[in-house]
Amino acid sequence: MKLDALLSTVILVSFLVTIIMAIGSYAAYKLRESRRPRADDAMAEGDTPFFERIVADDAEDSVRHADPPHG
Amino acid sequence: MDNWRVRVTLAALAVVAFVLLKWVIDWTGFDVGSALFQLAVALLSTFLVVLVVRYVLLLWLGYLHHIEGHAGRDSGVAPHVTIIVPVFNEEAVIVPALRALLELRYPWFDIVVVDDGSRDQTYAMASALAGRYGNTTLRVVTKRNGGKASALNTGVALARSPFVLCMDGDSRLSPDTLRFAMRHFSNPRVGAVAGNVKVVNRNNLWTRLQALEYIEGLNMLRRAQGFVRAVNIVPGPIGVFRRDVLLRVGGYDTDTYAEDADLTLKILTDGWQIVYEDRAIAWTEAPEGLLDIIKQRYRWTRGILQALGKRRDWLTSPRGGIAVWISLLSLFFEAIIWPAVNVLGNLLFATVALAGVVPSGVFYWWALLTLLDVAAALHSVAMEEESLALVPYAVIYRFFFITTIDVAKLFATVEQIFRVPMTWGKLERAGRL
Repeated sequence: MKLDALLSTVILVSFLVTIIMAIGSYAAYKLRESRRPRADDAMAEGDTPFFERIVADDAEDSVRHADPPHG
Repeated sequence: MDNWRVRVTLAALAVVAFVLLKWVIDWTGFDVGSALFQLAVALLSTFLVVLVVRYVLLLWLGYLHHIEGHAGRDSGVAPHVTIIVPVFNEEAVIVPALRALLELRYPWFDIVVVDDGSRDQTYAMASALAGRYGNTTLRVVTKRNGGKASALNTGVALARSPFVLCMDGDSRLSPDTLRFAMRHFSNPRVGAVAGNVKVVNRNNLWTRLQALEYIEGLNMLRRAQGFVRAVNIVPGPIGVFRRDVLLRVGGYDTDTYAEDADLTLKILTDGWQIVYEDRAIAWTEAPEGLLDIIKQRYRWTRGILQALGKRRDWLTSPRGGIAVWISLLSLFFEAIIWPAVNVLGNLLFATVALAGVVPSGVFYWWALLTLLDVAAALHSVAMEEESLALVPYAVIYRFFFITTIDVAKLFATVEQIFRVPMTWGKLERAGRL
């Protein structure tokens, strides 16, 4: 078998495997998403609802003077 | 399932697909003289021409943008900017992200963190950093969960600056981001500046391929669009806007899953220019597993389709100016048409090769496309002064990575056409900022 024919076969099979993997991965993704609990269900199970709270920027106790932290 | 089982299953499926395809080819009598073969050759030639023309055009326009962008000087003006950080369950990355913001080299900015009803410690961790740091005030607010668009709108409403920078809570900005982005606003026709998004977690094959994709795919396209000042997606991780333009177009809409694309189209069709600044950099954490990548791209594709669907009539007429029209068409082409053409073009070539017409041609076909990809990768990496270590990944970029992503985009397109219900789909973060 010539080298170019051999390489062609390798590439062809790799491409077909990629297509199959891509389709399989998409199916796996959809399956995973369908099994994941939804936010509405979680709320129905008794999670604490969030209420709007705005921290006023001019409230003195919320404003601290400090140097920039180093990370 | 164990890795070896996955590999054996894939190999077995590949053999089955190979045999099936071969059987179909024999059954249809596909050979050199047939009309089917002539059609295949015509389609493949068209595909090649489109591919080459697309690359040449993007590289040329991108190069012009690079020369133009790097020749300009700072205007010296530093207007006040409010940085809006919408966060939802970002406890893994919120602290380093906010610390990086406080170290930006820009004299005059505030930060507003909008917690979108996180269920983890995000709000508490961000609140611990609230306060005043020199000229900069960091405010943290929380609200009932309403989605990213709603959180960004809250931030825009709370902002008091003429300019706002909208970003993601899981992104980190480079220190000179604001300095480079703001100089574009000396042009009063510029309504927004799109920044340069880069992958920070290059720790496995998937994230390195995405790092290359961001540089070679997304940024190359954005750079070309930047030259004509009609960028069609100001990316979620970094976009700077005139606040009055955001208010004028009604802020972020909550009816699509790609609020960044939707807002960009609103600004473009309102007559504003949108430019690209490659030195305004946001480092973002890319999904590290294949299923999470598919989840992200699925949402992007459906979101872009939703945003385009709201402006169907703009696609058919150049009423907003030729640059806006081309930008809209380009979004449609890159998000919908090109992925389909890419997958089908390669499948068609595989079919022709399996038919025994050009059995050795597959190698030359692959070599030609890969050569183009490697050249484009070298060009893009050099232009962004990125790591050359990413270039070798161009060898498997198209036939492995892009094909995998494009298949997901095809499915997403079909599901959007049939209005299959979907949810936002929050990605899990590894906290690598």
